[in-house]
Amino acid sequence: MGEAVTGPALSGTQKAILAAYTELIEELGSDDVSYRVIARRAGIAERTVFRNYPTRVDLLLATAAWIEATLFTREESHSIFDIPLAIRGAMQRYDARPELAHVVAETAMRGVNGAAPSPGREQLERLLDAEVPSLDAAQRRTVVAALSHLDSAGTWVTFRREFGMDQRDIADAAAWAAESVLDSIRDRVTP
Amino acid sequence: MEEPVDTATAILASAAVLLRERSFDDISYRALADEVGISERTIYRQYPTRAHLLAALSNWIEQTRFPLPPFVTVSDFCAAVHERFRAFDASPAYAFVGARASAISPTLGTEPAYITRAIEAMLDVAAPTLNRRDRRRVAASLRYFASAMFWARLRTSFDLDADEICDAFDRAVGTVLARLPDATWAKP
Repeated sequence: MGEAVTGPALSGTQKAILAAYTELIEELGSDDVSYRVIARRAGIAERTVFRNYPTRVDLLLATAAWIEATLFTREESHSIFDIPLAIRGAMQRYDARPELAHVVAETAMRGVNGAAPSPGREQLERLLDAEVPSLDAAQRRTVVAALSHLDSAGTWVTFRREFGMDQRDIADAAAWAAESVLDSIRDRVTP
Repeated sequence: MEEPVDTATAILASAAVLLRERSFDDISYRALADEVGISERTIYRQYPTRAHLLAALSNWIEQTRFPLPPFVTVSDFCAAVHERFRAFDASPAYAFVGARASAISPTLGTEPAYITRAIEAMLDVAAPTLNRRDRRRVAASLRYFASAMFWARLRTSFDLDADEICDAFDRAVGTVLARLPDATWAKP
């Protein structure tokens, strides 16, 4: 369930299905969209949608991954200390497409064992190892875990829902929290 | 746990029982109706969509399984969250439902969770002269690190156990609170 959702494995038909479903989620919400409507929008047979995505969960997981990979992309960060900026940008993109941000946030929490793997984790580890290699294992894990947790649609949903924040405030608070995490390692950088 | 008193609660109690053996996605309204001994229609009347059911189930689990101990000070707060994370770890299926429900588009008018208001009240007492923007940024960060989502992500993506998650939480909270100037903290 939910494998092979990103990368070159996606066929033209699959991309058309995911793009059509994405449009429809923004128009109608994720609950109300039937396979028939998706097929019509994508210009293919309903059967073809079922063949590619046998269940709604398959379809939803694939769509969320596709949305993250194409609409909520991050600019490449060259330093771990750029991450707050990347998070700020990501929060603004989530806020511009709220229906899709909810779908991504919820889908991230319905992997086979609960949460899906943290998407940016490897990049964060790479940057951290290059710039701040002196951290012990627990510190390294804490920084990576906190930053990858903050750099997710879950942040956007929580700040918006629990604090009624608008786009500016969400972007500001998420970036500020990421800066706090980095403050603890600023003086550990390798010259 | 006390006996369910009404249909809506009986449905949630049965859904919670089914959650022990399958995921939320695999609980059909049909199976749920059989478990409660009512018609599928009755369930639809109470919970028109699965999102409604998920939100209600999560609230109910939260109240019955994961009651949050009251807290006033920062250290009480950390202790309360530790207790919560340990309870999550003991009933992961329930905690995953909570993590997921907190991410869905709101189905009804939502109001801030109790923990959010308690965090804000704690900051008002602990750091009375904190400016509004910092207060909100700190409260939002503490809230998010205390969430079921944080627990779920660390457990699944980072393969951590409850003790390690509590440790990661303490460090994250420590870095956030360390940013506040000393002068804003109330003197004991």
